[in-house]
Amino acid sequence: MSEPEATPVPPAPVPPTGMTTQPVPAQSQSTAPVPERTVFMPPIDIYDSDEGLVLLADLPGVTIESLEIQVQDNRLTLFGRVNPALPTEARLLHQEFEWGDFLRSFILSDEVDHDRITAKLNHGVLEVVLPRATKTAPRRIQVNKE
Amino acid sequence: MAVFRWRHSWGNLRDLEREFDRLLESIKMPFPGLRLERQYPPVNVYELDEEFLLVAELPGISPENLDLTVAGGILTLKGERRGPEGILDDRFRRHERLRGKWQRQLTLPERVDEERLSAEFVNGVLKIHLPKLPTVKPRHIPVVGGES
Repeated sequence: MSEPEATPVPPAPVPPTGMTTQPVPAQSQSTAPVPERTVFMPPIDIYDSDEGLVLLADLPGVTIESLEIQVQDNRLTLFGRVNPALPTEARLLHQEFEWGDFLRSFILSDEVDHDRITAKLNHGVLEVVLPRATKTAPRRIQVNKE
Repeated sequence: MAVFRWRHSWGNLRDLEREFDRLLESIKMPFPGLRLERQYPPVNVYELDEEFLLVAELPGISPENLDLTVAGGILTLKGERRGPEGILDDRFRRHERLRGKWQRQLTLPERVDEERLSAEFVNGVLKIHLPKLPTVKPRHIPVVGGES
């Protein structure tokens, strides 16, 4: 059994239960008070395909504009902001789910070619393709006489 | 419609419950109705001035795979969530997303104009507009007195 190439990790500020309330990171750190927003850990699938690993994440309500995907130091992070776009007069009568943003990160192995990662968003499902890095052929090093 | 209200402070617990549900779903339960109140998809209902608004999270469903019908005050949502084509289960390293056929029936609130229902489906969020019927004005009934 080889090591999985993408290991989900609980994001640092989020406890392992997967959900917490925290201020929205980055961007909105303006003078206005930052509203508390709920952050969820989205369910994911990871499978092997011919081109590499494919990661699917359920992100209902996330748009291409509100989705941020980042790779830094072998860590892939997804952050999707959700705008419920409800009319202001809307009054909640019955609730089975809460609105919130989505955050999850993964540790990528060296087998993933970071430069060729692609992603698409389709009906609220994010698909990230993590191509396998092509193994470089062993190279002979010539030893010269001084 | 099963009414199950959650307070915000219960958020963590609810997420834990979700995880448990996911676990339970992977186990064949002898009593499938054990957790009846957790239905798929989760639905929120809002009241607006002119309509009721029903919102459901349905990531991964395309409008073609979604079947909405209304009859006799019952709204039926039906669909299927498929896995990726041609990928065998043993190629999965992680499997958390729900898969399969689902159906949910909801009783419409009273005073809804079934003829004018409309739905929009954007980024995996379904919004169904249920326009209210105009409120019926009280009608005066003439009283005819007989000659005495």
